[in-house]
Amino acid sequence: MSLSRRSVLKGGAALLGSSLVAPKAFAAAEKTLVIRFYDDPAGFDPATIFRIENENIAFNIFSGLTTYDSKTGQIVPDLAESWETPDNVTWTFHLRKGVQFQKNYGEFTSADVVYSLNRVMDEKTASPYRSELSGVDSITTPDPYTVVIKLKAANGGFLHTVANYHEGQMLKKEAVEAAGDQWRWQPVGTGPYYLDSIDVNSRIVLKRHEGYYKGPAPISTLDFHIIKDDATAAIALRNGEVDLVMRESNEEQLKTLKDAGFKMNHVDNYATSLKVFNLTDPILKDVRVRQAIAYAIDYDAISQAISPSLQAASYSMLMPWMEGVYSDKAPKYKYDPDKAKQLLTEAGYPNGFELKALNTSAQGVTEAMQLEINYLAAVGITETMELVDTPTYNKRRNDGDFMSAGRLLPAVNPDLILFSYYHPDNIAPKGLNGARYNNPELTTTLEAARAEKDPAKRAELYAKVQDIAMTDLPYMPTTVSNVYWPGKQNVTGVNINYLAQVNFWEVDIT
Amino acid sequence: MLIYSLKRIAQLVVTVLGVVTLVFFTMRMIPGDPISAMAGDNLSGEALDAMRKQMGLNEPVFFQYLHYLQNLATLHFGTTVTTKLPVVGLIAGALPITISIAVGTIVLTALIAVPLGTLAAYMSYKGRKTLDNVITGIAMVLDLMPSFWTSLVLLLIFSLVLHWFPASGMVSLSDPGQLLHRVALPIIVLSMAQIATLARITRTSVLEVLSEDYVRTARSLGWSELRVLFRHALKNAALPIVTVLGLSFGNLLNGTVIVEFIFTLPGIGNLLVAGMNSRDYGLVQTMILFYALIFVLINFATDLVYRLVDPRVKI
Repeated sequence: MSLSRRSVLKGGAALLGSSLVAPKAFAAAEKTLVIRFYDDPAGFDPATIFRIENENIAFNIFSGLTTYDSKTGQIVPDLAESWETPDNVTWTFHLRKGVQFQKNYGEFTSADVVYSLNRVMDEKTASPYRSELSGVDSITTPDPYTVVIKLKAANGGFLHTVANYHEGQMLKKEAVEAAGDQWRWQPVGTGPYYLDSIDVNSRIVLKRHEGYYKGPAPISTLDFHIIKDDATAAIALRNGEVDLVMRESNEEQLKTLKDAGFKMNHVDNYATSLKVFNLTDPILKDVRVRQAIAYAIDYDAISQAISPSLQAASYSMLMPWMEGVYSDKAPKYKYDPDKAKQLLTEAGYPNGFELKALNTSAQGVTEAMQLEINYLAAVGITETMELVDTPTYNKRRNDGDFMSAGRLLPAVNPDLILFSYYHPDNIAPKGLNGARYNNPELTTTLEAARAEKDPAKRAELYAKVQDIAMTDLPYMPTTVSNVYWPGKQNVTGVNINYLAQVNFWEVDIT
Repeated sequence: MLIYSLKRIAQLVVTVLGVVTLVFFTMRMIPGDPISAMAGDNLSGEALDAMRKQMGLNEPVFFQYLHYLQNLATLHFGTTVTTKLPVVGLIAGALPITISIAVGTIVLTALIAVPLGTLAAYMSYKGRKTLDNVITGIAMVLDLMPSFWTSLVLLLIFSLVLHWFPASGMVSLSDPGQLLHRVALPIIVLSMAQIATLARITRTSVLEVLSEDYVRTARSLGWSELRVLFRHALKNAALPIVTVLGLSFGNLLNGTVIVEFIFTLPGIGNLLVAGMNSRDYGLVQTMILFYALIFVLINFATDLVYRLVDPRVKI
């Protein structure tokens, strides 16, 4: 497959030609959905993929042993029909029979599971998701439809690791090897759609995988048009140039589209944003100072004032839909400026201090930042914004070169969130624990929770972890974000899951 | 002419080598690298280091530089760091779009600004300052409107209300009609900003020439005002105009970023900004190398045009 614009045009012409000569019986099923894609595609190799919009394409090309229910976010079977584990250490997966790879790459079997997982674990692949599989001790295949994965230690959340996301996506060795270094542009999976053609500057075309194990999807062609600007995307939808807008992130445009009668598909509480406090900072290492900051800012009022559709105040690291892990009992910091002042006085800062906040310059000084500065000023804290461009921001954030910084928690696996952010093994720059937080009591509780077999006891342990975490407050939840995909009224089944992705197998045009 | 050309080519090689070296090291001096650019929120430092190692980004910078020069000498421009796409292919795909916009803008600007500036100069010369002020004033207002704002206003009017032009959609290079349809609004937006500058330059230049002896002589021969103005005055005033047009063509090649973004045109500006944001060393280096070549060539071309316009100029 060549990537030149010319070849895509030719492909488009061929496509047009073939649809003209297609037998009449198929004509009714040949539906095309035009979708806005909001950035340059970066490739779809599960081992090295990044950014949600690319992941959404991969989500429809590949399958995992398990996947996420679009509406509830719960783990459900995908290529594995069922599984069992006696101790959270040994996991036996029973694979679905007769599952076909796209582009005639044959049946999916246990050998493909071994290949896919090994490929991510192989150092040469340099997959950023390698650490997700670091707990795997061995993978064996008693027969083509059974896979036994033995872990080094008990992990009750292992089903997330083999879900249809990053390292859990199943590939075919022959297809990977045939594509060589262009594999990211020539993916082959077992999902409902395959990649038909791509022009990295303007367009991605997915075609229905007729042999998909749940049956062919209702729409035959998904035509993604790259439109970067949110205002232009809204105009394109109103003009009928696209049927569905992937992620409209402009409050004003959302209002216009809603008033114009478009269907406002959305998912709420998709992920929370955090303020990361650097605990090596002489001021922030005092827990009272961190709590004071949390009491001082009214994120509810800020969200209401600036973007009521796209965000709301957040009071916890985990989301209420993370069943079995989320606890409602952990301390919450509702707006209370008097309490903030009192805590600051107790900590020895009656006249406040200067809080440096590292942020990206992508959107300049936003209204939200200005309001935050005002709220902090009201309790005597002077917040100074350090605005740097995104690569610099990421580097300084990873190096721990900041007083406070921001993070968004996109992971759907609650256990992984807690381990990544609170466990001392993951202290930055190695891992995501950018606060450099280390509380032995939390660590042992967390490890016990991961190993616990009994769901009720596990939930109790996780609740204790959240209790300690929210009392110590190395990370302060600020806002939760909601994701919108406005579309035409006749486009149905746009269920945005908690990874902010849409399973296009469920989408139809009526 | 031959010696001149050889001199220019030598100059070109030195310029390009300098630019390449400068870009290579400045790219590596600014904080962040391709890996930290794509890190986002859920990649750990350990994972990022593994990727750096695989891409050879942990090798000493000087070795990377030598390796780069070696590739350049054999005309291997390589692939982008993160997406493994051939850099030359990306540039070749984006270039025609930006060139169409730039050429369109230059033509439209010249067609409007030159007559307007000449008229303003003539009015001023005749002492009818009001019309001169109105023309200069309008040009100034156009110049002051930010292009992201005019882009959106034009989109709303011509795309959403009147349906004359699409807001998005494919760009077909093999179909000039369709291409023009897609680039018309961006050309108008960019021209609005260019017209003011060019009209002012034309006005000043023509005004100066109007008081020259040969214009008075032309008038005394009884030729019509139009002929005097356009044939004699404008022709002699053309040098600064050509210079400005040449310069703005160069500037347009990277000044189209905002309109490309808003009108969804995958041109060169878009590519460079994306390359910068993702710290894609390979892409940015090759693009700047290419800019350097273009600028040197445009300067060369402008000099040649000088000679055509004004035989007194020696090169």
